Amino acid sequence: MDIQNTQSQMRKGVLEFCILSVIRHGEAYPSDIVDKLKGANLNILEGTLYPLLTRLKNAGLLTYRWVESNSGPPRKYFLMTETGLQFYGELERTWNELADAVKALTEMPAEIILTENPHLNQ
Amino acid sequence: MKKVININFQGRVIPIEETAYEILQHYTESLRSFFMNEEGRDEIINDIEGRIAELFSEVLKKGSTCIKDDDVNAVINSIGRPEDFEDDEGKVQSQLSGESKKQSYSGAEQQEAYTTSARRKLYRDENDKILGGVCSGLADYFSIDPTVVRILFVIFFGVTFIPYLILWVAIPSTATQQIGSARKRLMRDRDGKMIGGVCSGLAHYFNVNVWIPRVLFLIPFLSFVFQWHNWGMFNFPHFINLSFSPGATLIYIILWLILPEAKTTSEKLEMKGEKVDLTSIKNTITEEMKGVQERVSKFGKEAATTAKEKGKQFGNEVSGVARRSGRTLGDIILLLFKIFAYFILAVVLIAVVGALFGIGIALTGMLPLKNYLISSGWQNVFAWGTLILFIWVPVVGIITWIIRKVARIKSNRNVMTYVFISLWTLGWVCVFGLISSLGHDFSSHNNVTEQNISLTNAAVQKLELKAQPMNKYYNSNFWFHLEPFAAINSDSVYLRNVRIRIVKAEGDSLFHVKMVKLSNGSGKQDADRRASNINYTIFQKDSLLMLDKGIAITPNDKFRNQSIIITVAVPVGKRILIHEDAGWGNYEHIQFGWNDDNWNNNYYDEEAANWRSDVEYVMTATGLRPVHPEDEDHWNNDNENNEAPQRLEEIERQKRELERERKELEKSLNRDSTRNDSSKYEYKQEVPAKPAAKQTGQKQNGDITSPDTYIYSTKRFTM
Repeated sequence: MDIQNTQSQMRKGVLEFCILSVIRHGEAYPSDIVDKLKGANLNILEGTLYPLLTRLKNAGLLTYRWVESNSGPPRKYFLMTETGLQFYGELERTWNELADAVKALTEMPAEIILTENPHLNQ
Repeated sequence: MKKVININFQGRVIPIEETAYEILQHYTESLRSFFMNEEGRDEIINDIEGRIAELFSEVLKKGSTCIKDDDVNAVINSIGRPEDFEDDEGKVQSQLSGESKKQSYSGAEQQEAYTTSARRKLYRDENDKILGGVCSGLADYFSIDPTVVRILFVIFFGVTFIPYLILWVAIPSTATQQIGSARKRLMRDRDGKMIGGVCSGLAHYFNVNVWIPRVLFLIPFLSFVFQWHNWGMFNFPHFINLSFSPGATLIYIILWLILPEAKTTSEKLEMKGEKVDLTSIKNTITEEMKGVQERVSKFGKEAATTAKEKGKQFGNEVSGVARRSGRTLGDIILLLFKIFAYFILAVVLIAVVGALFGIGIALTGMLPLKNYLISSGWQNVFAWGTLILFIWVPVVGIITWIIRKVARIKSNRNVMTYVFISLWTLGWVCVFGLISSLGHDFSSHNNVTEQNISLTNAAVQKLELKAQPMNKYYNSNFWFHLEPFAAINSDSVYLRNVRIRIVKAEGDSLFHVKMVKLSNGSGKQDADRRASNINYTIFQKDSLLMLDKGIAITPNDKFRNQSIIITVAVPVGKRILIHEDAGWGNYEHIQFGWNDDNWNNNYYDEEAANWRSDVEYVMTATGLRPVHPEDEDHWNNDNENNEAPQRLEEIERQKRELERERKELEKSLNRDSTRNDSSKYEYKQEVPAKPAAKQTGQKQNGDITSPDTYIYSTKRFTM
């Protein structure tokens, strides 16, 4: 079992959730999203972000708006759609359940698990 | 010092160092390949390029004059390389595809999604394959041992051969399951093409050497060539003829039209079925970059001309349009011409190789005779040069060229070509040297002197000419036989260059035998010397005239058309018989050089040489006649078979028929004339003047009888 692989899988599972949570607060430019995630100590490459955003947009969760920029070509600002908000709500619920479950399991004292296991008592 | 170029990037003009541009190009190309299977790949690339353009603009705003390598690398690092986010992609993608179908999913649904994706699928097993992995894939699918499947396939090879090929093409490889790798696609390979790149593409698809499909396509050409010459050398297995022969060219054209061309790097990788990741792209691109400079400039020119013609389109669009519109009638005609030209070339080359090969074998077979023909020194050098440089070098050269062309080996090609051509040129020099040198050696004839052979008993009734058994062992089974070189041993070769003439003896009733020795040489003296060196003995033993079997020639003498002509004068009424081993009547020896005078015409009169061996002849006043009449029949109709007597009979019958008609006509003419006045009769009578007496008798009959009697009388007449 590769520890790095497991770690990245864990991270990836929540990546979209995190991205959506950033965009939820209003229009966001991809590099701003990267900065915000970095600020929260979650490193992501722009090269990973762009395809994710495109997919989310194609799935109808996001939409975008062109904004003229004086420092280069026009920028694409992403914002949440109605379905995106619903989707986010679902994800949030799942995440909370999952977090609770993980917390409960990881913080549970070892002896309780053992005594409650009928197979081990036999 | 670096060259700076301006590029149009996302609608902005950006000055960039050439090397930096190359790095950028690699990068975008790698991105393109990485997102190849993405639905919105163009959008993603576009977004990323937009971001890069933005970052470049920032750099330029800070006061840089142009984008440098470091700037590009910094940008790439901030966005990330495909290998960095490759890992994330696959997983995120698979997760998302599930998501996008259903925006919310419970645990149960997820479970279901997993089982469906884990449903068993038929794959070709890339990791456990012998040919295409079909057998092991089937074994996997039905959970049996691959070996069992393989054995079954081999046992029923005849039945399973075609299905195997179909399955090979139809079933995806397990390699497609791996992330970032592409399913192999059947495409035409532009880089490795000879005509349309079909063979090369097939080779990539089936992962075989490129010469295999080429040879399969060439086989019908070969068979065509060999059948054309009726050599029957190649009797191909039936299934090859069946599957490839009739329509190879047609199949090729169809494939050429159907298969897409692998243009971009990722398409090329798809074609080769390589895993599309950064390393493989890098490798491919590095390989390609070798030729990229020239291709860029070439492409620029192409684009420019097309742009002029087509107006406003330029750049990538132009190339695409040009290529697509180029796939029209013109291209097809060009292709047909190409195929035709290759076909002609193939036929000609194979014919030339075949001919040279034949000559080469013949000349090599003559090598044992070389010492008896070629004098040492330059002539010897020329002879070897002719054999090796003129004959064998082009054979080897053409075969090598075909193999290299088919296998597409390119290294040192020019050097090889120059070597072959210069060697062959040397070969031509040798040929001319040899011809002129040999021609000189054969240029003169000796002075002919007739030599009388004294017979011990010239008054015999019958003379038999017979060869005396050789007192020396000669090996006559060297594997290439060339007349008149009959046999050879270690120190001499003997020639059956002995001809016998039979003439009528005038004056007395005795046999006379005369002999003439002939030879060529570089001059009269040389020819005389060679003629006098001929050692040939004739002696009589009762009614037998013993002759030497042939003329022995030593390597010192050399073959210079040495020959013997024996003239036997036969008195009228006496008989002669020549045994087969003694010599030849008709002139059939090989003549090197040319005749500068017709001195020997006297010796080649048809009549005197007009005899056959083992037939007994008798000399008559009008000439030679066979003693037994059945020999005569053979003699006159030498080339005809048993039909001859029948034909003769038929001709005889026709002759009689004609005769009868003639008589009939004569008669009717006569009858007419007698009915008319006498003056006319007188006149007519002069025309058929021949059998006058009979006609008058007949005429009286005809005058008084009815037409019936006339017929009767005619019959009687003809009978």
